[in-house]
Amino acid sequence: MKRVQFSSYFTQYFFIAPQLAIILIFLYLPIVQTFRDAFTIQDAFGFGRYFSGFDNFVFVLSDPNYITALKFTLIFIAVITFFSCSIGLLLAVQANNVIHGKSAYKTLLIWPYAIAPAVVGVTANYFFSERLGILYNFFNGLWGFDWYDNVYDAYIYVFIAASWKQISANFIFFLAGLQTIQKSIIEASIIDCKSSFRRFWTITFPLLMPTTFFLIIINITYSFFDTLGIIDTTTIGAPSGETKTLVYKAYIDGFRGLDLGSAGAQSIIMMLIVLVITVFQFRFIEGKIHYN
Amino acid sequence: MKRLYRAFIALITVAFLSTPTISAPVELHYWHGHTGKLEAIINEIADRWNASQDESVLIPTSKGSYEDILAAFIAAYRANEHPHMVQVYDAGAAIMVAQVKNGVVYPFEDMAEKYGVDFNKDDYIPGIRNFYADSDGKMIGIPFNSSTCLMYANMDILEAAGVDIPKTYEEFEQIAPKILAAGYTPLLQSHSPWIWTENFFSRHNLLMTDGNNGYDDVPTTTLFADTPEFITHWTKVKEWKEKGWYDYKGRAWGDNQAPFIAGEAAFWLGSAASFSGMKGVVPNFTVNHIPYWSSITGGKEYPTFIGGAANWILSGKSDAEYEALMKLAEFMTSPEQQLFYHNMSGYAAVTYSATDLANEIGFYEASPYHKAVGEQLSLTGSTIPGGYRAGNWPQIREVLYENYPKMLNGEISIEEGMKRMDEGASKLLAQFAKTL
Repeated sequence: MKRVQFSSYFTQYFFIAPQLAIILIFLYLPIVQTFRDAFTIQDAFGFGRYFSGFDNFVFVLSDPNYITALKFTLIFIAVITFFSCSIGLLLAVQANNVIHGKSAYKTLLIWPYAIAPAVVGVTANYFFSERLGILYNFFNGLWGFDWYDNVYDAYIYVFIAASWKQISANFIFFLAGLQTIQKSIIEASIIDCKSSFRRFWTITFPLLMPTTFFLIIINITYSFFDTLGIIDTTTIGAPSGETKTLVYKAYIDGFRGLDLGSAGAQSIIMMLIVLVITVFQFRFIEGKIHYN
Repeated sequence: MKRLYRAFIALITVAFLSTPTISAPVELHYWHGHTGKLEAIINEIADRWNASQDESVLIPTSKGSYEDILAAFIAAYRANEHPHMVQVYDAGAAIMVAQVKNGVVYPFEDMAEKYGVDFNKDDYIPGIRNFYADSDGKMIGIPFNSSTCLMYANMDILEAAGVDIPKTYEEFEQIAPKILAAGYTPLLQSHSPWIWTENFFSRHNLLMTDGNNGYDDVPTTTLFADTPEFITHWTKVKEWKEKGWYDYKGRAWGDNQAPFIAGEAAFWLGSAASFSGMKGVVPNFTVNHIPYWSSITGGKEYPTFIGGAANWILSGKSDAEYEALMKLAEFMTSPEQQLFYHNMSGYAAVTYSATDLANEIGFYEASPYHKAVGEQLSLTGSTIPGGYRAGNWPQIREVLYENYPKMLNGEISIEEGMKRMDEGASKLLAQFAKTL
């Protein structure tokens, strides 16, 4: 085999320079700035900046609303990940079994994935507005649903709004995963076992584990970071701040309240949380998965 | 393909060479927080200005809500891409006034003097003048869209229930059962921090924070739990909600306004500027002063704080641009433009010369809707300052938003809620004080 090599060092750096520049400017520079903001006190315009040690962190963590937002975010992540994954899987298995009009089902189920979170929120608004909302009136008839007043009803509202879009994403990946499973394995399993339910849990699902693991990570990051627009267009934290996620709170404090120190500290706390979750997943879950 | 490419290059070259060299008029960029009908009114004002002279061109840009615009322009300022003039709302006044010393904001009064603009301080309605002024009374912002909270009443419902418009909350309590019995919601309001907090204090001549509402000293705490009148008010509000006299539809402005627009609620407390959106949509409504507790004021009526926003002149532009900008400011505050804006939007006229003009042409007889806002803001007799200078106020409003629903649904007592709001506000005020 012929060795491909650049004649000078300059050429290779020339080719990777654009990539490096993008990473440095859009990834590392903001991280450095976030750290700088988190450890300084400054006004909104950047005047009067001085080093303040851990003051901003103490300020954030001593705020009872921050703890409320932290608890809600953890519940939010667990619920969204669980429901959107399981419904996505269910739909994928069903769509995979369909013989007639397969592509029509697939296309229709994929559509919501293309919708931006803020638009999802606005759409959900129509369903949950007191005046127009079909779902509002349906739930209201069942148990007096009122998300303006009741914390759990507000939870239901944002959970439905945030998982809806993600179901499509999960559906696509699960469907792709199902199609990579070799026909011969499935056929062999049909001969061995009559119950399709048992076949699924003993053969298909274990073979889908790499996809599932990937999707769990994707869903956690989605519900952690991308749902800002949904919260902002649905409950805005209603009834009284209980449905604010950590990202939403950082956004409100940083961009509405213009307190960059507090927002910077919150970003670093979030970074640590995500770090812990990710390390946990790779250490304790990934080892149990077989990649073929 | 090659020929096409050459033609393209030639075209670009020609385009560059033929760029006109005559001096263009000065461009004035103005960022504002109006959308919908109100944005159309701003564009109309810009068209009028651009047609009236050829030295400068006003380019207004809507940046979304008041909260969005503040963040957008601060980011732009830090990147040195800011406009000449920006509209910043009441809750941001403390931030803007504090930036005069850093040279971000140029005081209107100084600029008017420097560029020889026709400017008479005494012509501005005092409540409006003082709200956007520093503690010495020097005008910093240019008063522009001044609103205040008002009470909208659906006259058809009042007739059906056989009641009159209440002046006080005591009167409201008398008639609320009749409205409820007639099958309507008696009362809604759209902004608890603004209407039933800040303007509760102004309407009843009570101090909201220490340091004389922040005009004398940097405030360290709000006085919610220390004001028995305020606790009484919210205790009453909670009672009203339980009786069905008042309905709370979450914190979104529009959700609370919707029942009034749909003709299901008798009264709605909102902004003077809500008028433009409701004109022609809601049949037979009137605009009235906001009620007060006569038991607190002893029957006297005090003015409310100004709401809405002011225009602020930003630093870092050329002399020629500022000269043009000040001429624009003169135009925008002229009685004719004020009256146009007043009429179209429902915002108050900010100068006496504009209200004089309105009286002269019989404007208020033709459109009585517009009377309440000016009247309420021109009331006299207050011993408290005409505003509040408290930093981090947008976040303090968040604290209020989070505690009121808990107080109303009984999760915490009114007293406990007041205490929590004071604590939350104190922490945010202390955080802001560190940046001064």
